Amino acid sequence: MYSKQTVLKNLTGLHARPASEFVACAKAFESKVTVRRLDVEDAPEANAKSIIKILAQGLSVNTPIEISADGPDEQDAVDKLAELVDSKFGED
Amino acid sequence: MRILKGNPVSRGIALAKVYIYKAFKADVHESYFEAGQEALKFKQFTDALAAAETELDAIVASLSVESPEKAKIFTAHIEILNDEEVAEEVKDMIFSSRAMPDYAVDMVFTEFAILLEKARDPLIAARAADLRDVRNRVLRILKGEKEHNLSNLREKVIVVAHDLLPSDTATLDRAHVMGIVTEVGGATSHTAIIARSYKIPAVLGVSDATEIMKNGEMVILDALKGQVMLEPERATISDYEVKLEEFLKSEKLTAEYLGRIPLVASGERFSVGLNIGTTEPDEGFKYVDFIGLFRTEFLYMESEHMPTEDEQFAAYRKVLANAMGNPVTLRTLDIGGDKSLRYLVLPKEDNPFLGNRALRLCLDMPELFKTQLRAALRASAFGPMQIMFPMVGTIDDVRAAKAAVQEAKAELLAEGIPFDEKINIGIMIEIPSIAMIADLAAEETDFASVGTNDLTQYLHAVDRMNQKIADYYQSSSPAMFRILGKIFKEYNDAGKPVSVCGELAGEPLAAIVLFGLGLRKFSMNASNIAHVKRVLSLFTLAETEEIAQNVMNMKTQNEVETYLKAEVAKREQKLTASAKK
Repeated sequence: MYSKQTVLKNLTGLHARPASEFVACAKAFESKVTVRRLDVEDAPEANAKSIIKILAQGLSVNTPIEISADGPDEQDAVDKLAELVDSKFGED
Repeated sequence: MRILKGNPVSRGIALAKVYIYKAFKADVHESYFEAGQEALKFKQFTDALAAAETELDAIVASLSVESPEKAKIFTAHIEILNDEEVAEEVKDMIFSSRAMPDYAVDMVFTEFAILLEKARDPLIAARAADLRDVRNRVLRILKGEKEHNLSNLREKVIVVAHDLLPSDTATLDRAHVMGIVTEVGGATSHTAIIARSYKIPAVLGVSDATEIMKNGEMVILDALKGQVMLEPERATISDYEVKLEEFLKSEKLTAEYLGRIPLVASGERFSVGLNIGTTEPDEGFKYVDFIGLFRTEFLYMESEHMPTEDEQFAAYRKVLANAMGNPVTLRTLDIGGDKSLRYLVLPKEDNPFLGNRALRLCLDMPELFKTQLRAALRASAFGPMQIMFPMVGTIDDVRAAKAAVQEAKAELLAEGIPFDEKINIGIMIEIPSIAMIADLAAEETDFASVGTNDLTQYLHAVDRMNQKIADYYQSSSPAMFRILGKIFKEYNDAGKPVSVCGELAGEPLAAIVLFGLGLRKFSMNASNIAHVKRVLSLFTLAETEEIAQNVMNMKTQNEVETYLKAEVAKREQKLTASAKK
């Protein structure tokens, strides 16, 4: 199990195109990958490979999140996804 | 003969056979299979997913060239089809509870749709409709039924449906759809907008149309009056064949005014402008003197992400090129209220039309605003452009917006990027508080344009999205003309340009009064240009001034409209009489 915390900095948040890119990136890994928002107590862990579960979280700009993975490529998965988030999905 | 009534939302007449269009209705019951068939049932499910993806791929391919924006709807459907959690839960239902594939699909997709509907953001909630759309596709395939849509009709028909979904209209066979009748929907519904843009006559809100009308029967659609005539008698049919011809002729006659120089009967010239909301070329560009309203929302609404400065810059340059040297008035982002964005979560408000929208939102999100202002300023180096702010209520708003422009200018200057340093900065007048001090606003701005839709909404305190109170929305009321007269006078006295870019400028009857009140710049949609040029050519300046005075002293909108119609009819009769001589 490996995790990282970060904050969504792109204006769109995890919606529309960025959400699609995020899910596509997660699917490239074998590990089980989840996302959880940190600003709400007891927020559920959402499967990062499910576009619907990700959208349903309503993750908007400035939301702090935790990305976790469990599996053979867990560290790589988390690092890549965190990197993608921090790149602001190429928004500016 | 039987007559059904509805709202005429796209003008025209059609005589054709009825084509009842019923979207696939899933009839799913809770059911289970015998042990031992798990693998077989699961394969049925995965095969259905594969078949659904093949269908969607074909739709995406057929749309991607002509309408990439519509293709995106179906790309999103493919994404849902490939959702891991959905597939996992269906698999689980099949293997551990031996649920029939159709029952499992229905349960899981519906459960996820409800999950999305619970999202606070209305844009995410709206995506639940996509999930249900995909569910129906998979269920239909599981039932072994063929794909059913309006893309391939054998003959000319009038489509009759409960409602048309974006996935229906996106693939509509335009060569064969002569008319549209639906059971639900008003003038601003998706179907209405599509019908008008395709120039297909449409009557919406016809109750029980799909029950009452029969497939293949010949009907008359009168989308001028808002009627559908079933089992018409021979005489009615020949009557309507004449009417259809007359309608087409009058459309043509009016069209002749399209290219004329806009003059009133006593020779005074006025200017006609075009309202646009895309970078697409519009045939209206040829017939106008200016682009009075360039709405920029499309850039934000059609995009999957916040449009970048370079994307905006490229779009604005394209519009300047389309305008062929005519000045373009760019209106900065006008969202909130009825318009929101897919990727920007805006908090839900109790009164969105009185809330954080348009300029207020831009001032609240300085980065977003500056990106647009920089892009607009950069484009101004390539053609005549001016910048206009929506939803201005006070001089404080004017000053704050101008300060943001100043900041963007300073940045560009420091970076050595060229722009029009003397670019005109103006405002939309649509809030009564700024209209009341139009003289002071004129001192602080280079120009103004009146947005009559919102002005009506705010002056009359009527939510224009609420169909129930549509009668209270009176854009031709004496109150409206009085406040408009004041705005025109103050700007004319200050020697600053004033125009109207709201719907009123494109309404022939209202245009007569506006001219009489001193307006000389009318900006409108391409479809209204010929009508306005024609009606104003019937009146002299003195006549319009007298009419305007009379209208301001009338007591109700009803009185105003009756009077204006009579004034036009009088002149039309004279014309026909002299033509006969």
